[in-house]
Amino acid sequence: MTLMGAMRASPPSTIGGASIGLPSAVSEHRTTTRGVPLQLLGISKSFGSVQALRPMTQTIEGGEMLALLGPSGCGKTTTLRIIAGFETPDHGSVVIGTHDVTELPPNKRGLGMVFQSYSLFPHMTVGENVAFGLKMRGVSAAERTTRVREMLALVRLTQHEDRQIHQLSGGQQQRIALARALVTNPSTLLLDEPLGALDKNLRERMQFELREIQHRLGITSILVTHDQEEALTMSNRVAVMSDGQVVQVGRPTDVYERPRNRFVAEFLGTANIVAGTVTAQAAERCWRVALAGEPGASALVQSDTPLAPGNTILLAVRPERIEIGPVVAGTMQALIQDVVFRGSYFAYELCVPGQDAPFFAYSQNRKDIPADRRVGLGWQPDNAIVLEDAP
Amino acid sequence: MTAGIPVVDSDAKARPSRPYRLAGPSWVVPVLLFLGFFFVIPLGANILRSLQTGQAATNGPLFYYIKLLTDAYYGGIIAETLKVAVISTVLCLIVGYPVAYFMVRFAGRWNTVIVFLLIAPLLTSIIMRTFGWRVLLARRGALTTLLFDWGIIPRPINLADEPFAVYLGLVHVLAPFMILSITAVLQKVDVRLEESARVLGASAFGTFFRITLPLSLDGIATGCILVFVVTCGSFLTMLLLGGGKVTTLSLLIYQQFNVAQDVGFAAAMGNLLLIIGLICLALQAKFLRRSGGKS
Repeated sequence: MTLMGAMRASPPSTIGGASIGLPSAVSEHRTTTRGVPLQLLGISKSFGSVQALRPMTQTIEGGEMLALLGPSGCGKTTTLRIIAGFETPDHGSVVIGTHDVTELPPNKRGLGMVFQSYSLFPHMTVGENVAFGLKMRGVSAAERTTRVREMLALVRLTQHEDRQIHQLSGGQQQRIALARALVTNPSTLLLDEPLGALDKNLRERMQFELREIQHRLGITSILVTHDQEEALTMSNRVAVMSDGQVVQVGRPTDVYERPRNRFVAEFLGTANIVAGTVTAQAAERCWRVALAGEPGASALVQSDTPLAPGNTILLAVRPERIEIGPVVAGTMQALIQDVVFRGSYFAYELCVPGQDAPFFAYSQNRKDIPADRRVGLGWQPDNAIVLEDAP
Repeated sequence: MTAGIPVVDSDAKARPSRPYRLAGPSWVVPVLLFLGFFFVIPLGANILRSLQTGQAATNGPLFYYIKLLTDAYYGGIIAETLKVAVISTVLCLIVGYPVAYFMVRFAGRWNTVIVFLLIAPLLTSIIMRTFGWRVLLARRGALTTLLFDWGIIPRPINLADEPFAVYLGLVHVLAPFMILSITAVLQKVDVRLEESARVLGASAFGTFFRITLPLSLDGIATGCILVFVVTCGSFLTMLLLGGGKVTTLSLLIYQQFNVAQDVGFAAAMGNLLLIIGLICLALQAKFLRRSGGKS
């Protein structure tokens, strides 16, 4: 079967990162389950008259972490709950490895899951929490002890085995939740806003830690988040969802640098959107576009798909890709409204004639340009993104 | 001198600290006085009465207590009292837990309606409710006829005078207390804990017995204490239902006081009931601390 093929083909990469003192037994457990692909085949779900999820087909490769990113109500949580087995899809099926699990209850799917609230059992110790999944699978007490210790070592909380849950900090609880989810060697790890309850600094640390553990164990993972930074940092691929469907899937850099439409461009980071009319081809894969709103202003735009002269298109430019320079005839001009020092860069709020929304530009220059100055704006042709939306 | 700027003298006498709470400790004084006059003093008087009046005056102060604890008849009454209390507590738990679980997990916006329906019967007098059961359970009552028609009972009898009716009446009155105690605690049990357990491999039953039930023990204990203590003290249900086949200590007190007019004996029984209640409370409090103290 193709699925089996995909399973075998998944490279045994990245394991054995020598620098990490991972108990060898853990990696042995892992090799059996590592890299099982997960397929969503046309799953959809309605709640009453609300279509929470439109038919969705998606393959998550073995060992990959896919982020489902979107605003609340976009269907990402519904997708995760269907995979976990808390919801039954109206249509379609969920295939883990080669098994169709659509009809299986959550306890028969062999998954691991981390919730936003961690959901640690308050009436059990840390050790009992981690051992719970093993106990449910009938693992002997002796082996439970060993594997719980291994897992606690993995999340660096060995000393806390006999603690009560309420004695742990948020970050520690999060790590225990991860240990509890991983101890049963799940085929797939489901992460439901796993870092949402942590403060910013801890969240950034945990992003790297979680990613590192996931990477090391090579476990297929699905991350649900509304935090674009979390999605970009942690996942191999990002699926941006809106209104019950996936709008764009791709590697974080691709989705960020090449958003398909306005929604993706604006949901992932900040985007300056400007309409324009294609005037002529300037070079290979490069067109000149007359910018709307300001007569005489034009810019070069690079595009892989040919643009027809005379067509109006919508462009997006990232704030950090906008170059602020002196006013030059024929380029876009702007009035600096406000300058904000953000530590590693200056953020400019710009008023561009003919544009309703203000533009934003981030500059790494040490010296800022004072407000109320007139400046010219420009960008490299390949930094202008042609969006699919009609202007 | 200096105009406009108010001079702040740091050596000026300290601002009197104003209480920031609405109520101070003195606010409990009226309640303490009330309880002192109408609870503590009568209780003390009752203890004295049980040691000094009637036959206790002639046969020694502990006469009534010795009689209660050694006479087989009264021993049976005490056992019966405990039996009725335990059975009605267990029945309330069995009937109440599923209702509480449903209310918390599935009722959603109907929750308020269900709470109202649970409390509404408590607004009617217990005598009316109990007589209601007498009507339904009479030989030609609606429920008796129905049970006979369905073949559940062999012949139409006056069910109201069977012990079964006592339990029915008690559970009817007391189940809401159990249900509300359990819902209060169950509401704090995050549904995601149950979901976590499911993903970790626990079946629906396993999840209930390992997660939901242990985490709602506090509510169960509270409900059980309430039902147990109230059952121990209720006599109207036993008086009006069960046809005198269920005689408990509180019913006996009522009879001793009103019928036999042996005030000293009634007082002794009241004190014994109080002690039994306190022992049960202490046992349950110990259990409660052990199970619920962790979280």
